[in-house]
Amino acid sequence: MLDHLTLMVLDGFLIAVFFSFLWKRDRRERWLYFWKVFGALVVGAIVLAWVMYPFPRG
Amino acid sequence: MTDRDKPAGLVLPLPVLLVLAWLVPGLGHALLGRRLRAAVFFVVVVVGFVLGLALDGELMLPASGDALAFLSMPASDPLRFLALIASVGNGLMFFIAHAVGAGQGTVTAAAYEFGNTFLLTSGMMNLLLILDAHDIATGKKDW
Repeated sequence: MLDHLTLMVLDGFLIAVFFSFLWKRDRRERWLYFWKVFGALVVGAIVLAWVMYPFPRG
Repeated sequence: MTDRDKPAGLVLPLPVLLVLAWLVPGLGHALLGRRLRAAVFFVVVVVGFVLGLALDGELMLPASGDALAFLSMPASDPLRFLALIASVGNGLMFFIAHAVGAGQGTVTAAAYEFGNTFLLTSGMMNLLLILDAHDIATGKKDW
């Protein structure tokens, strides 16, 4: 099956498409909003993962 | 005429429209003449739902058939209750999946949590679509 990073990117993609069509009216606005949301989700998750990295699970 | 120029014409009584919007993702928008957005919403929600099932995600149900247990769920198990609402938010797909025995969830599967994430986000997105269809139908949103 797909690895977790790919699944996260896919989930971010679906969410970004959904909200860009839900909240934005024009094509240009939608593109801009899509990249903002998609970038925030993917980059944010990776940054958060690195912030959590020093903390052990146990 | 583009998607955005179409008037918010209500062809069905509002409660019926909202129930249809819940049952089939994007149907509310389609009935209101927003065909492009309806198609996009349908694809996004259905793809998310199918991926969730394929990844061994779990469609939440009340832990017990006891009505009292269900009513006390918001207090006793609020997270599961919210997950239940999100699962049921998938509309007809939720019931079909249960009817065919899908969405039982495999806790030991590597992608179980991701499966849940896809199933819950698709349900929440569909619930948001109901609210959006309501706003269009009542004229609060003109596109």
